[in-house]
Amino acid sequence: MTTAALEVTDLTVAYGDKPVLWDVDVEVPVGTLTAIVGPNGAGKTTLLRSILGLVKPAAGQALVLGRPYREQRRLVAYVPQRGSVDWDFPTDVRDVVLMGRYGRIGWVRRPGRRDREAADEALRQLGIEHLASRQISQLSGGQQQRVFLARALVQEAELYLMDEPFQGVDATTELAIVELLRALREHGKTIVCVHHDLQTVAEYFDRVVLLNVRTVAAGTVEEVFTEENLRLAYGGRSAAFGRRNGP
Amino acid sequence: MTSGQLEIIAIASLTSAACALVGVFLVLRRMSLVSDAITHSVLLGIVLAFFVTQSTTSPLLLVAAALTGVVTVALVELVTRTRLVREDAAIGLVFPVLFSIGVILVSRYAGSVHLDIDTVLLGELAFAPFDRVHVGGVDLGPAALVTMAVVLAVDVAALTLFWKELKLTTFDPALALSLGLAPTAVTYGLMSLVSLTAVGAFNAVGSILTVALMVAPPAAAYLLSDRLWRVTLLAAAIGVGCAVAGYWLAFVLDASIAGCIAACCGAAFALAWAFAPGRGILAGARRRARQRVDFALAMLAIHLATHEGRPEAEEESRLDRLGAHLRWDEGRIAHVVAAAQRRGLVVEQAGVLALTERGRRLARQAITF
Amino acid sequence: MTALLPLDDYTLRVVVLGAATLGVVAGALGTFAVLRRQALVGDAISHAALPGVALAYLLTGSKSSLLLMIGAALTGFAAVLLVTAVVRTTRVKQDAALGIWLSVFFGVGLVLLTWLQRRPDASQAGLDRFLFGQAATLLREDVVTMAAAGALALLVLLALWKELKVLAFDHEFGATLGLRMRLVDVVLVGLLVVAIVIGLQTVGAVLMASMIVAPAAAARQWTDRLGAMTVLAAAFGALAGALGAVASAEVSRLPTGPTIVVVATALVAVSLLAAPRRGLVARAVRSRRARERLGLAQVLADLAQLEQVHEGPARGHHAATVGAMEQADVLPALVELERRGLVERTPDDRWLLTDRGRSEVSRA
Repeated sequence: MTTAALEVTDLTVAYGDKPVLWDVDVEVPVGTLTAIVGPNGAGKTTLLRSILGLVKPAAGQALVLGRPYREQRRLVAYVPQRGSVDWDFPTDVRDVVLMGRYGRIGWVRRPGRRDREAADEALRQLGIEHLASRQISQLSGGQQQRVFLARALVQEAELYLMDEPFQGVDATTELAIVELLRALREHGKTIVCVHHDLQTVAEYFDRVVLLNVRTVAAGTVEEVFTEENLRLAYGGRSAAFGRRNGP
Repeated sequence: MTSGQLEIIAIASLTSAACALVGVFLVLRRMSLVSDAITHSVLLGIVLAFFVTQSTTSPLLLVAAALTGVVTVALVELVTRTRLVREDAAIGLVFPVLFSIGVILVSRYAGSVHLDIDTVLLGELAFAPFDRVHVGGVDLGPAALVTMAVVLAVDVAALTLFWKELKLTTFDPALALSLGLAPTAVTYGLMSLVSLTAVGAFNAVGSILTVALMVAPPAAAYLLSDRLWRVTLLAAAIGVGCAVAGYWLAFVLDASIAGCIAACCGAAFALAWAFAPGRGILAGARRRARQRVDFALAMLAIHLATHEGRPEAEEESRLDRLGAHLRWDEGRIAHVVAAAQRRGLVVEQAGVLALTERGRRLARQAITF
Repeated sequence: MTALLPLDDYTLRVVVLGAATLGVVAGALGTFAVLRRQALVGDAISHAALPGVALAYLLTGSKSSLLLMIGAALTGFAAVLLVTAVVRTTRVKQDAALGIWLSVFFGVGLVLLTWLQRRPDASQAGLDRFLFGQAATLLREDVVTMAAAGALALLVLLALWKELKVLAFDHEFGATLGLRMRLVDVVLVGLLVVAIVIGLQTVGAVLMASMIVAPAAAARQWTDRLGAMTVLAAAFGALAGALGAVASAEVSRLPTGPTIVVVATALVAVSLLAAPRRGLVARAVRSRRARERLGLAQVLADLAQLEQVHEGPARGHHAATVGAMEQADVLPALVELERRGLVERTPDDRWLLTDRGRSEVSRA
């Protein structure tokens, strides 16, 4: 058996006394496009954030290509929800994309010529090279999302974790993003997206993780999207908890 | 100008520049009021450190006071983390009490602490030239000037070295963490810089006016530019400008220098607010006015185009009937028609308006859009 | 600060009454400021009141507390309007807007004060008390003015109770009900201005803001009901005001404002620790009880359930995973189960049922 791109075991996260994720296992094979779906409050974003160490889990661990995330940081790129940053920040598009290189550059040192070339290349790939020196507050929603994706691209990662990349973008951008994700997959990269539109899951993704505080089901889209599983995931919190009635 | 005056201006300028440099990051992180908290609690640090060292010039004083600034931030975080009190209330609880303890100590031991309430609020800029530093018999200048030069140098060095880290942790701390750039460490580093700067500034301009220097010039610069490095340099320049202008204002009014510098900071921000190109109140008003005119012109063109070449055209296009059709008053009609003629959209013949080719194009564009 | 002579009963009564009055009004109205997350708006108002005091004196030459309070209220209110205008028309956020105007207004206030001090008639002596407060200078007329203004503010509070409640809780929802939330917000700011201005002479411009925050923050810990919280905050405010004023009047060189603030903050600290349900002590006791109540059988059953959920060979689970099921620290229970040979700890710190443990579960 080959090493999984991402292997989450026994992940439990609690805010105060409330479990947000409880004993979650997720395994994502290399070179696949995986969607994480589930109702509001299912812990989808928390799952990504705890994989990245942004939220401290109570238990469990995440392995990236067989080793703990902390050792593999370089190989993981994160695309947060657009609302997570202040778009009034005084900077331009190219600079935001360059930020993706900061980990690679290391403390104190400045971005060099190669970093700038990588940023320009990523801008081209996303079709926003003409926006390079635009102030970021003047971007549309779709353009902001493209900037975030370009920023992830320059990280030259193996695993891409994306939080609702299709949220609030126009149809053209949505198509462009899907193309990009497929191109990444062709290059052997692995992509995991939090996604909320059940209609498009089968079209865009190879695999699904159905989440509601616990892992309800995981596998290919056909395997997972059974009536029983969807009822378990969306039929309310208590259904997913089985014996317990939830907190 | 006497050398004493020059020295005071120099001290005020260095202080303002140092405050503005660190203030930029506070403003962008929405932590402006942390400067309020730190500048207040620093008083307690200074008093406590004085009890230990029994000296008002020891560099240890500076370090100890700066430490209380960091402790304040940690304390606010601690109270917030109990989740019993929200962050704004936590700030509003922690620093007044630390400051109060400081003021009580100063009042009770006024004789021995060598600080008084006026100093706490106003600093002692006017007397700064009398307290001088001598090394091996050589006069290096006023102690405050030397202190602020060191503080400014530390600020500049830290910002230059960690520019990239400060920028990223301010813009997107989550990405910084996932890239291994330790945003918490950077934040506490920044808080240490703010505290150090606040201690230096506290001596010169007092606690509350330090807030003005840390927040107003950066906020003004933020309205004037879209690039972080330009905002930062501009903030420092505005700060220095306020310091110089404030000094002269105080000289003319024979009033508190620190207070006048704060007033100038307010004026600088107000100017930026009113006149910032593209973003100020005036620019906004002008943009809205232009949009109103553009909209009215499009309405006029569409109206004329709709009826052009039809039997009712003359009735609909007569100048004295336009008001009734478009439901505009006389003044507005005259204004809009004049603008339309100026832009070559319509021509008037015997009281009847006719579209030009350009006018027809505008009408088409307006409709298809 | 000048050393004070011991006060006679009459003066002391006036001082205590004045300080209690300001505490009641600030506490009650502070409740809404804190719930609306505007704790620091009070800071801006109180600092911005200083130039108003100086201007009122400069223009009228009178030291009547009513006039000075009106001046303070006007500039305090103006500062909040400026803050709101900056936030609405620029990308500068509220924290920075507050920081700018509170410090700039205060700076202007200091300029006016120093300028007044240097005037030849120099009769301003006493305006200083508006910086850190001086309860001992309170006169009977001052207290009457404070009480009248405060009563008026409290009456408005009662009249608009329902609207203010919606504002503090969810102002967008209020707008959908057809309540004019903008207007109610302005009214709340106006009431806060009154509350702060009342306290200026006793607590001072520098620290009055914390009388808005502290009593409300303390009261919040003891109750979940808005009405009770408001009453309690008023009581805490009165207590802090009265205790602080007495202490500062009786002990020489103890400035009134800071003393009141220290007392008020002590009340908060006690509340945070000792409040019956939310308090930190109660919380610790509760989690300890939960741990003690936690039956060993329950923990064993949880482990068995976890084992069923995960297919394949049993690999054990973290204590925290079981803990999340029980919302308690289950480590002591696991250790006890290990001692009885029902579970074992794996080298990577997971917990696994032994065969004996498994049969114990199926027996139960």
